[in-house]
This record gives sequence, C-alpha cells and structure tokens, in this order.
Amino acid sequence: MKNEYYPWGGEFTVCSPNGNVAVVLLTVEYVPPKTVAIYGPLKTENIGIEKIVANLISNPNIRFLVVCGNDIRGHRSGSSIIALHKNGIDENHKIIDAPGAIPYIENLKEEAIERFRAQIKIIDLIGVKEKRELDKVINDHTMKVIPAFGKPYIAIRIKAQSKVTLDDKRALHSKIVLNYMGKVEKRGK
Amino acid sequence: MFSFTKEQEVFDISGIKIGGQPGLYPTVLVGGIFFKGKPDFDKAEKDLKKMLEISKKTGNPAIPDFFIRNEEDIEHIVNFILEKVPKDHPFSIDIIEPSIKITTLGYLHKKNLLSRTIFNSIHIGITDEEREALKKHTPEMVIIVAFNPKDKSPDGKIEVLENGAHLIDIGLLELARKLGIKKILVDTAALAPGENSGASIAAIPVIKEEYGLPTGCAIHNVVEKSKWLHDIESARETVDAASNINIPLFGGDYAIFGPIENSNLVFPIIAWQDILISEYTENYFGISPIDSHPRRKLQ
Repeated sequence: MKNEYYPWGGEFTVCSPNGNVAVVLLTVEYVPPKTVAIYGPLKTENIGIEKIVANLISNPNIRFLVVCGNDIRGHRSGSSIIALHKNGIDENHKIIDAPGAIPYIENLKEEAIERFRAQIKIIDLIGVKEKRELDKVINDHTMKVIPAFGKPYIAIRIKAQSKVTLDDKRALHSKIVLNYMGKVEKRGK
Repeated sequence: MFSFTKEQEVFDISGIKIGGQPGLYPTVLVGGIFFKGKPDFDKAEKDLKKMLEISKKTGNPAIPDFFIRNEEDIEHIVNFILEKVPKDHPFSIDIIEPSIKITTLGYLHKKNLLSRTIFNSIHIGITDEEREALKKHTPEMVIIVAFNPKDKSPDGKIEVLENGAHLIDIGLLELARKLGIKKILVDTAALAPGENSGASIAAIPVIKEEYGLPTGCAIHNVVEKSKWLHDIESARETVDAASNINIPLFGGDYAIFGPIENSNLVFPIIAWQDILISEYTENYFGISPIDSHPRRKLQ
C-alpha cells in the first residue's frame, strides 16, 4: 500500500500519523499499540531495508525504530538495518559489518541514509517476542516528548541507467531482436 | 514463441534434461518442500508421491526442492532424501544461511548424494567459506541467481553474471566455473511488484541468447507478493499456478513453482503450455519434441 506519509509503499500498517515510534516486526507474532506511527514486517536485507528507511524519513515525527522478534534466518535483516544505522554503507553501497547475505543499499542516496541515521534512534529488541515487554518499551518511548525532525524527506529512488530507446519495435530488449517468426538474434549481427 | 540463434546447452542430472531450444524438452518443474517447525516427513512423502505421479502423467520432469532452515534438520532431511526420493532422481536444496549450506554439502558428500544435487543457490552474497565448501564438495548442478540490487533490469542481471557488477570480485558465471561447477542454471531473480517484476521474464530470452544456458525463475513469488490478490482469495491459487506459463512462453527451461502442494494445478497448466509452444516451434523451426514431451504423451 501507499500513503501520503509513506511514498515508497510496502507491507505496513499505518496507525497514528503523529506517533514517534515505528516498529519493525522480524519473526514475531505481535501487534503493536495503535499509538505507534507505523509498523510492518521486514524480510530482505536490501530492498526491504530501503523501503523502511525511505518511509521513515518521509515522516519527521518518527524518532524511534523498534526492531523486534527473532531475526530472519539467512537474511539477518534486523541486524542489517541496525548495522546500517550504526555504520552506514561503504563505497560499494554495502552495509558496513552487516551480517545479511546481500546487504546492499542501491536505490537510496547517501543523503537519505544520513538523514535516517540522524533522525532515528534504534531500539534493538531482536530476540524479544513477549507482548508485555514490547508494549512497555514502545509505550515508554511513545510518551517521550521529542520534536519532529524538520521537514519530511522524500527519498528519490535511484534509477538504473539502463533505459534505452529502441530504434525498432521488434526487439524485446536492446541486446536481442526477434524476426517475424520468432527467431531470436543478437542485435547488430 | 522463440528459437535462439545461440547454441543452447542441455544439462542432464540423473536422466532429467534441462535446457535447449524451446519445444525440445518439457519444462522442468521444481516444487518446494517447506517445513515449519518440526519437519512433517509423512506429509512430505505424500506430497512428493503426488508430484511424481502428475509428472509421470504429463511428462514434465519434477524436482523436489528441500528448504533447510535449521542446522538440526539437515541430517533428517538428507536421510529423507536418501530413503524417500526415488534412487537416481535429482533434488535441490534451498538454503539461505551460509553455515547451513556448508554443513549440508558435507553431509550430502558423506551420503554420496552430490551427483543428484542441485545447489540452490549461488548469488552475490556468497561467502569465502561457501566457496571453499563448494570447491571441496561440488554438487552436480548449481542455480545462479542473477540478483543485482543496483539494477533489476535484464542488463543488471547480465552484469552480475558477467562481472559481478562491483558487488562481488568476479562474475558469477566465472566464479561457478572456477569452483568446478559445470552445470549451471540461471535464475533471473523474480522480484516483488514495483521492483521491475517483469524483468525476470524479459531477461530469460536475453540470457539464453547471451550464454545459451538453461534459464528460469520463481515467478510465482511475484504473485505471493501481490498484496491486492489477498482480497480475492478465490483466484489466488489459479493466478499463482498460471504465472508459471510466462517462463516457457519466453523460452525458459524450468520453473520454481512454489509449494509442492500446488503440483496438481501447475503441471497440467505447464504441459498445456508446452504443447502449444511445441506445435509452433516444430512447424517453424523444426524442433521435434522428445518422446516424453507432453505433446507426445497427451493426445
């Protein structure tokens, strides 16, 4: 779904627009209190994290990100978003010291990542699944009076530079052409 | 419906052939056996039997894909493969965690199963330890996932295969060959709607014409991630199964079609599609299907 506050869309539930807490659900059965701004699952250590970062910084009211539940096996997405917050990315856009399999942030500018690191404080509750404990931490942070982080930051999705203008309409792709009977050939041969 | 100019590789694993020109071999169907919590091997055995039965009926080869998520399940799942998957029938292992991949390879070697193993998968996140393990215990066949987080288009997918797209020190095809892997299947990495999901299908003919390697993907994952379909419960299963026809239609060789429970729906749909393709490709390109092709079996 998409929402004016959360332009990148994704699998999430919007609660209170003025809430200052967002919740990432890893492997856990838990529904956060309605006072949070937004909550939803995180599956992948690349595209999933990108969406969460973009959606968090577009709502400056959000100042805390609770990451809870058991981490996703193999992907280690929870630990990877925490690593992103702590360390940022290297010159290859890899999250520094992230334990996930493919922890690359390729569709966000560094400025957006820096904004995420400055705007958000992460509450690391990886491994915690108890409703009572999670409710308490979330409620404690919800009650904190903390100003919004300036204006919304609308992250622009970096587009891959692979768009081409084809000079004919027979091709499926810039690399191949298809004759009228369906024979595929490399373009230019 | 296509025919490729580039010579197409055909790889054999325990008698199942994957690859070639469209219309020659039936589409190979890979059905996932997932375990939630303690593995239910009775159910897995029944599901496997059903898939093999429908496979025999349509002629589309079936490969069970075992998801291994816990260290403590490795031995039990491998023993299940040894005892319940027909002898000389291939299978694939679908593992995310590198340490579990490494242990499983060692165990498959110990049980003499590597010649029937499809390793699912190698991708840009491969660790040094995984490379060593694959060199030491080399599976017969490997799926390479052409996922490029930087560029999800067919060009981006080719880039990771060719040179690693600066995400890894070497192109994934060269890496696999250096590890001693001879039989490579390319998976075009189907992504969620909004993430250029169509590119995984468009990339199939591009990759086949570029490398001649058997190519496919798990396009059904895109259906799983189409949230709007959750509200149309009655159609979900059909859309999920039907999504697989995109693969043979675009010249692909195999489909990782999701839960093995869907076999009875997926196999007839793909058999129907294979017949359609074969009629055209034989007429115009002279590609005669093999005897076990659905077009030969189903009249």
